[in-house]
Amino acid sequence: MDGAAGPTRLQSSMKRIARTGVLGQIVALSLVALAFAIGTGGRFLQWTNIQVMLNIAGVPAILALGLHQVIVLGAIDLSAEGVMAFVIVFVGMLAKNTLNSNDVGLWILPIAVAIGAVSGLCNGLVVTRLKLPSFITTLGMSWILYGLAVYINKAAGIPLTDARIPDFLAGNTAGLPNIFLIALALTILVQILQKKTRLGTYIFAIGGDEHLAGQTGIGIRRTKTTVFIIAGALYGLAAVFLASKLGRAHPRSGLGNLFPTITAVAVGGVSLTGGIGSAVNALLGACIITALNDGLILMRIDPYIQQAVNGIVLIAAVALTIDRKKLGFIK
Amino acid sequence: MSDTTLIPTPVLRLSGITKVYPGVVALEGVDLAIYPNEVVGLIGENGAGKSTLMKVLVGYVQPDSGRLETAKDGPVFLSGPASAIEHGIGMVFQEGALIPNLSVLDNLFLCHEKTFERFGFLSHRTMRRIAREQIRLAQIDVDVDSLVQDLSLANRQMVEVARLLWLSSIYGHPNPVLILDEPTAILSDTEVDTLFAILRSIKHRASVVLISHRLSEVVENSDRIVILKDGRNVAEMPAGSAKISEIEQLMVGHEVSADRYLEEHQHEPQEVEVLRVEELRVEGQFEPLDFSLRKGEIVGLIGLIGSGKEAVRDCLTGIRRADGGHIFLEGLKVSPANPHQSIRLGIGHVPIERRSQGLATGMSVQDNINLLVLKSLRRGGLLTRRAGRRNAQRWVERCRIKTPSLDVLSGTLSGGNQQKVVIAKWIGANTRFLILDHPTRGVDVGAKEEIYHLIRDLSLEGIGMLIMCDTLEEDIGLSHRILLMKEGRLIKEMAAAPNAKPTPSDIIKFIV
Repeated sequence: MDGAAGPTRLQSSMKRIARTGVLGQIVALSLVALAFAIGTGGRFLQWTNIQVMLNIAGVPAILALGLHQVIVLGAIDLSAEGVMAFVIVFVGMLAKNTLNSNDVGLWILPIAVAIGAVSGLCNGLVVTRLKLPSFITTLGMSWILYGLAVYINKAAGIPLTDARIPDFLAGNTAGLPNIFLIALALTILVQILQKKTRLGTYIFAIGGDEHLAGQTGIGIRRTKTTVFIIAGALYGLAAVFLASKLGRAHPRSGLGNLFPTITAVAVGGVSLTGGIGSAVNALLGACIITALNDGLILMRIDPYIQQAVNGIVLIAAVALTIDRKKLGFIK
Repeated sequence: MSDTTLIPTPVLRLSGITKVYPGVVALEGVDLAIYPNEVVGLIGENGAGKSTLMKVLVGYVQPDSGRLETAKDGPVFLSGPASAIEHGIGMVFQEGALIPNLSVLDNLFLCHEKTFERFGFLSHRTMRRIAREQIRLAQIDVDVDSLVQDLSLANRQMVEVARLLWLSSIYGHPNPVLILDEPTAILSDTEVDTLFAILRSIKHRASVVLISHRLSEVVENSDRIVILKDGRNVAEMPAGSAKISEIEQLMVGHEVSADRYLEEHQHEPQEVEVLRVEELRVEGQFEPLDFSLRKGEIVGLIGLIGSGKEAVRDCLTGIRRADGGHIFLEGLKVSPANPHQSIRLGIGHVPIERRSQGLATGMSVQDNINLLVLKSLRRGGLLTRRAGRRNAQRWVERCRIKTPSLDVLSGTLSGGNQQKVVIAKWIGANTRFLILDHPTRGVDVGAKEEIYHLIRDLSLEGIGMLIMCDTLEEDIGLSHRILLMKEGRLIKEMAAAPNAKPTPSDIIKFIV
């Protein structure tokens, strides 16, 4: 029995590795690294530059960890920038700052996560109860939250004076930037959620075929809402980290994060048609995008050309990962 | 079955199930009892109510009246497939119910993983062990970690069977009822043999309801046969003593009165040929075939699903390209390469899916009728309202379309009048040959007759028609001539003159 099961077990574990779908991303990352290593005369691969890149990659990685889960579900979440602005305004009011005497200390972390989660809950409820497409819901939500944020805050940057979080984020542990280690830890958590829990299985089932998933008895609305909440919570965390890194709370500082996040998710190999991709893909995607932009900067490429390159990368990545037969039969 | 002195109690009993859809009575007081460890073959023509009954069995559709009870739980209410399986009733859907991007393992336990959960985390080791066990019990040769989308269709079906067996066992049903809807339609011959071998081997722990249009297959593999017709039970018999010819007779029922299809209006068609098909073929669908159609002639094309008739239809409408052969329209060689071209050539098509393919339900009656002739309604390059109204008015009167005005949305009309709008659109566009694909589907009895009238009128005007109908009676009743297809070949041609029409059982012999 054991002898017969041996090769099958080996085969199946090989298959499982192949199916994680990260080989292409690792190859892509290596190619980007190689190209820039040549282009910058080796500067790109210096350890200090790698540390800089990992440090930069932290925030987009956390955002991608949230966003990709919604995409695996077969939906989309465009609310990241609005949620970040909204969270940042509260960070400016509640964390130790120069404007008022509030100081919630490190409690700002769970508070930011909670505000993000509530925003995600709103997204989820509108999508599942009002039965609106996630595209419109989250786009609208982003504008609502951003508008409210700027109105409350009067578009002022509030200096944050508690140095504990920024100091920690800027520090290294075992040579790796702490913020990247946090992103890595979150990746592992989300990966466990996806592979080891019922919720994770249901997310992939809904992304694969929502109709059939509903037929088997999966609570579609509850699952979807939960995913939007998780995504929102991660945007909240990304927002408080971003504000801390910048040393001030300004609602505009989250702007410009949505596009790189979507690109990272797509480049990471998460299919926009749903059902394919995992946390590791999101993390790798964020690393590839960060490396690409860092390399272009080191090579002194015009920033507008950089932007165009990002657009090309997004389209190319989606072209490679999208499942065109999704509406018909999946093979 | 009767070798035991005890009369077994049925594991599942349906009594007096009635389901009415707008305009159609799908089920009328149907009774069905399923006993332990038996295979029941459920037989009926298209539209006899088989699929509605199956949907009732798994809670997809709630009956308007009637009772459903199981031996274990008494009377039950099924809100959907998930609640049906908790009562030990599961269905293997023809189109498959497994999620393609998940593994066999994930699919086996989907939505019922609770037993494998410890502190909120799933134990994949236990899941894998149980999955391998279940897969072995169902005699399927698949790796539990492979994705369902990589499995053959036969294996997918068997994984579904394994899933249903496992689920019913965890819900405490030692003898679940498994429903297989046309399980062999998508399988190769060897796969079919394997499927039935496996079904026989699981019989000691389940009952099976088998639905198939292949009669011999049902008779061979069932213990008991239940026949439905027009939403009612007509007969029930042990499979051992059943004769196919007898079943056929019961399926189609008594002969219908001749005047229902307006046979007194069936006139001899004109001599001139309108359509001729030579050596037409599509690889893997049908072998080269020839036939012709005269002006005003109505020809019924009959065959089971998979006989190739759908592919013939698609070649004529230009939906698909033939792999060889020629089509002549009024003596001119044509090769419709797309629907647009066949419309221009004068080939019309009234499709089976009226609401999604035949009619723009969100457009007015007038706009639908004028859709194909917009070019001729232009004055100086612009569409004029007056010309459009006149044209539409003419066809509404000609086809006796009952509509409050030309401007109501066509989707609001009754099914019969919608169909008349579709037909009006085609004949208004100078169509010389019309394909009518199930022209009376979803239409009530009164409107059916009006459509028959319209078809007879068109025939008198010299429009050639190829029809594919809901029932054999309708095909026979309307046609001048009948073409029979079986397994990709045109096997027979029959005349159907008034008062000398073949009977449905004459035909069913050839096509089954």
